[in-house]
Amino acid sequence: METITINNLLPMVFAGMEDTDKICSSQIWGEQSFVFRRGCRMCIHAESGCGKSSLVNFIYGSRRDYKGEILFDGKDIRSFGIERWCDIRTRSISFLPQDMGLFPELTVMQNIELKNNRTGHKSRSQIMTMLERVGIAEKRDALVGKLSIGQMQRVALIRAVCQPFDFIFLDEPVSHLDANNNRVVAGIISEEADSQGAGMIATSVGNHLLLDNAQFISL
Amino acid sequence: MKHNFRYEVWCLLRRNISLGQLLGYALANVIGLSVILIGIIFFGDSQHSNSDDDNFFSEDYVVLSKKVDGIGFRPVAFSEDDIERLARQPWVQKVGRFTASRFAVNGSVSMGGRGLSTYLFFESVPDDFFDVTPREWSFNPEEKFIPVILSKDYLTLYNFGFAIPQGLPQISEEVIGAVPIVMRITGADNRTDVYDAAVVGFSSRLNTIAVPQDFMDWANARYNPGERRDASRLIVKIDRMAASGMDSYLKDEGIEIAGDKESAGNISEFLRVVSGVVASNGVVISLLALFILTLSIFLLLQKNKETIRKLMLQGFSPGEISRYYDAMVLIANTVITIMATTIAVCCRALWDGQLHAIGLGGASVLPMLWSAVAYLVLVTWFNMYVIRRQLAGIWKGA
Repeated sequence: METITINNLLPMVFAGMEDTDKICSSQIWGEQSFVFRRGCRMCIHAESGCGKSSLVNFIYGSRRDYKGEILFDGKDIRSFGIERWCDIRTRSISFLPQDMGLFPELTVMQNIELKNNRTGHKSRSQIMTMLERVGIAEKRDALVGKLSIGQMQRVALIRAVCQPFDFIFLDEPVSHLDANNNRVVAGIISEEADSQGAGMIATSVGNHLLLDNAQFISL
Repeated sequence: MKHNFRYEVWCLLRRNISLGQLLGYALANVIGLSVILIGIIFFGDSQHSNSDDDNFFSEDYVVLSKKVDGIGFRPVAFSEDDIERLARQPWVQKVGRFTASRFAVNGSVSMGGRGLSTYLFFESVPDDFFDVTPREWSFNPEEKFIPVILSKDYLTLYNFGFAIPQGLPQISEEVIGAVPIVMRITGADNRTDVYDAAVVGFSSRLNTIAVPQDFMDWANARYNPGERRDASRLIVKIDRMAASGMDSYLKDEGIEIAGDKESAGNISEFLRVVSGVVASNGVVISLLALFILTLSIFLLLQKNKETIRKLMLQGFSPGEISRYYDAMVLIANTVITIMATTIAVCCRALWDGQLHAIGLGGASVLPMLWSAVAYLVLVTWFNMYVIRRQLAGIWKGA
């Protein structure tokens, strides 16, 4: 996938608010056309309630309560069926939701392997290396439900890169990480995105992912 | 992309499976399906004759006549249409006509110098309707010998009803057969001939004085060539297993049946109704069990909704997720079907002896096995359909 185009996109919940400052000042909502290109690096920042999570969920197909259109390589995503979406979520777009989507009843390694066993994208040693880099290798057999939020975010980030992708969307990925850990996970994601030539789009309310050469977009 | 069963996925999806609900469904379904299968196998046994012999339920013969009202001088008889309609009934295998003699017969025996003489009548039916086939059962006009078959009831009536109170000796079939009889036949033109005759056999089936059909056709043509009568009585070979409609047909047509031959058909019909009632109860129980499982599936998927939503966000399709639940219901339904089939086969031993004693039972178990397989396929398909519908609903929110 080369481009994701959004045309006149507006969450249903903002319908009728097109003329307000909130929407008029946005670089995405209500814009005639906004394009994410493969290889881009963007940080989308906004205050709470401006629709950051809505935007990434619309693009990931997990919410459909919007006006306007979203096109993957020119094709409207509303026309995609279940199989197409599953394929996209497995091969083309990786997504780290704000709630992380981890399974607290599984261990750290089981959570990661749940995805990696489907894609076969990383070897076990590569996964272990990443866990060591983010400082939670010793937690590999711990239940995710027993980890802190910051540790969970690191597990979810590693899981997010265990698949091929053209774009990776990260919804407030480092909200509970310190600057040092932020830099480490940003490095891991950047390396993976660079190796795949993929685009990276991260949202934040302030504590943004420390990506080099990122374009900042105001929502 | 690999779609193998993954332990970690099963760990997630099996959460909230209530063992109690699953066991409740299994128990109810084992009972329901067992009852259905027992009904089917019992139905098969009750409609299946286990012998080719002339027994209670196998092929049988009945003698039919039309009802006589008041005093009738015009003989009550079966028309050609009557016979044709009767022959078309599903329970009729073969129809034979009684041919009555159209001439006068006087039979006499000489015992110890004393003569005994009486007017008689003859009837004949085609040879293949006899239950006995004596060696001498043929007629040759040149030999002037008439073989006769008597009803066994006549001899029994004499030996036990007449001889004992009158102080007369009881006599065997062999003794009767050894007595020479002289038959004097007088035709319509008063022409009289004398024939030798002998009782060559006794029939349990035919309540008459029977002579060979050959003789009857020859003698009627010789002594009363002008007159022709419809058959007043019919002998019918019937299929008891198909005789459920026989009684109503005979009643509607005003036809009487000799003896007490209706009972076998009625019992067969009764057993058919019993097995139908049993199977219907099984269907009701199974439907309730299916209802329990369907509710359990709804509940389980609702409880696991968040987990399933997260899996779908990771790229798992509803079809991939449903496989785990499909496997669960398939295993459960297979175990249920095997258990119910085993129970039904074991229960068969309870009635096998009794049915065998009245000539029934021994039906193939294949219909029951096919029914069990059909049940397994249908119920599992329905379960899978419910699961897919639920997962498709969750997908819309993921």
